[in-house]
Amino acid sequence: MASNSALETTIDKILNNTEKDIHSNIQSALSESQQKLEDSIPKLESEYDKIISDGKKEADKIEKQIIGSSDIEARNKQLMLLEEAVDKVFTKALDQIANADRSGDYSNLIKTMLEESTQILGTSEITVFTNAKDKDVVQSTLSQFSGAELSPDTIDCLGGIIVKSKDGAMTFDNTIDARIERLKPLIRKDIASKFGVGN
Amino acid sequence: MTTEGGVQYSKIAEIKGPLVVVDDVENAAFDELVEIETTEGERRLGKVLEVGNGKAIVQVFEGTTGLSISGTKAKFVGKVMEMAVSKEVLGRVFDGLGRPKDGLPDPIADKFIDINGEPMNPEQREYPKDFIQTGVSVIDGLMTLVRGQKLPIFSGSGMSHNLLAAQIARQASVVGTTDDFAVVFAAIGVQYSEAEYFRRSLEESGALKRSVLFLNTADDPAIERIITPRVALTVAEYLAFELGMHVLVVITDMTNYAEALREISAAREEVPGRKGYPGYLYTDLSTLYERAGKLNGRKGSVTQVPILSMPSDDITHPIPDLTGYITEGQIVVGRDLFRQGVYPPINILMSLSRLMKDGIGEGSTRADHSEVANQVYDAYSRSQEVRALAGIVGKAGLTEIDLKYMDVGDTFEKEFLTQATDENRTIEETLTLLWKIVSKLPKNEITKIKDKYVEQYYKEE
Repeated sequence: MASNSALETTIDKILNNTEKDIHSNIQSALSESQQKLEDSIPKLESEYDKIISDGKKEADKIEKQIIGSSDIEARNKQLMLLEEAVDKVFTKALDQIANADRSGDYSNLIKTMLEESTQILGTSEITVFTNAKDKDVVQSTLSQFSGAELSPDTIDCLGGIIVKSKDGAMTFDNTIDARIERLKPLIRKDIASKFGVGN
Repeated sequence: MTTEGGVQYSKIAEIKGPLVVVDDVENAAFDELVEIETTEGERRLGKVLEVGNGKAIVQVFEGTTGLSISGTKAKFVGKVMEMAVSKEVLGRVFDGLGRPKDGLPDPIADKFIDINGEPMNPEQREYPKDFIQTGVSVIDGLMTLVRGQKLPIFSGSGMSHNLLAAQIARQASVVGTTDDFAVVFAAIGVQYSEAEYFRRSLEESGALKRSVLFLNTADDPAIERIITPRVALTVAEYLAFELGMHVLVVITDMTNYAEALREISAAREEVPGRKGYPGYLYTDLSTLYERAGKLNGRKGSVTQVPILSMPSDDITHPIPDLTGYITEGQIVVGRDLFRQGVYPPINILMSLSRLMKDGIGEGSTRADHSEVANQVYDAYSRSQEVRALAGIVGKAGLTEIDLKYMDVGDTFEKEFLTQATDENRTIEETLTLLWKIVSKLPKNEITKIKDKYVEQYYKEE
């Protein structure tokens, strides 16, 4: 019996010690994990801040993309509409020029064009080309320019003349079409300003 | 804009390379614009290179392929080449000659400006000293770009300079001011895929609306490349000095420009200089680079980042060599870093921004910027020496402090230098990273930073 009670006492001791050990282990594990948890809070907070700031950056980027591309799209549509309107004005103006009356000041215009052309080419030995409609006006004006002759061939243009030196080396295009083409960027700007663009 | 018409000449004496010699020409002027008409009625543009003895030598921008002596006509327009400019050019894409490439009509012009520009009066130049944030840490932190500066990127063929160019164009901004900012991007002789990448990259990031693109692709005639940077800079000058915007001009690749110049020079039978480039390459390059700057009393600025690929990575090649004489520093893209997969692979030890010191510090970036940058530069330089030593004696033969420097080098390349192509870092983020590298060193190794900054920013790990 005595040996049994000694055994039991030993077992109780061992159990008590083990229980104490386990308790102390649990306690230290608890405090360790609490410490780790506390330590990780600033890290977590900084991770959280980073995620939020990255997300904000990404959102800003997407916002910029959406606004940028819709601005561009809207602007492009406006440009196309404006161009369409400018083209309409041009077509109408060209139509009016083509059907304009050739009497009155028109012969003065042809004279000015011929003077300008001979001056630029540096010779009055020239052949003049014009369209069928202006042939008579040009022919009558040519009498004032010695050495100039009208070509029997006609050209396709709204009005005005093409002047060629008789040796064929130099040509000066002084048709209304060429003048409009040269001035087109400035005319476009004027028309656009009438629509309230570029003011 | 001249509205007078020009005389058309039909006596073509010779066609040689990109040049056409016209006979019996009177009253032509140097640099005058010429319209070449082919027998099929196709029109090409060119400019007068030389006049005299009744002859004019015309350089045809779109090449002379398909032109014949008989039937070709040359019309001398009576004006130099001009670019139509207005605020409407923002958000537009043009070809290398300044013609719309986006399917939209010509912009309504506010002005027509000679593409050769006007030289800036040196007396009127204002010293550049305001910071431009590119969002690329290595540039902002260690070779800061300043408004009005010209800072080239020296790269090599096949390296990631075009990615970097696009990233800078997308991200660049002026900090601490409400002034308008614009980017003019000129691509010279790039592949179609690259041109498309630049366009899409700006479009998708929303940066296109504040940008103007000039795209001259590799299949466009080489001679057009002479014009591309000039039209781009003309637009930049207008936006800067007429509209008061801060304009960043990115030009890639200047090597293709110099090649085109060499082609014309050879066709003109001029005495070649180094590697066949004309003797006036330096002067010619300066007419482009010197268009960067700020003017007294004007609000805007033109900043240039020209990119050039060095043939055989040779920094002594005439193009980078002469560029380096004109510009204010250089950013060098390193082959070794590129091979290691680092992006952007910038070799900081060979790079330098000469105007950085005036564009950083209190009031522009942060008071400690200069010192922390110097310390990192020094530490990285030391890490390279240690790496070389480790290659000989092995890591085991290194001292503890050597190993720390090696660690600094690795952290620098992995965390600071390496950046995603869509990662836009603020200057504060960049400085934080610089301090992270410095904090890897023991305090007694920090010799270039004032104690008060060390106290404030040093975080021992």
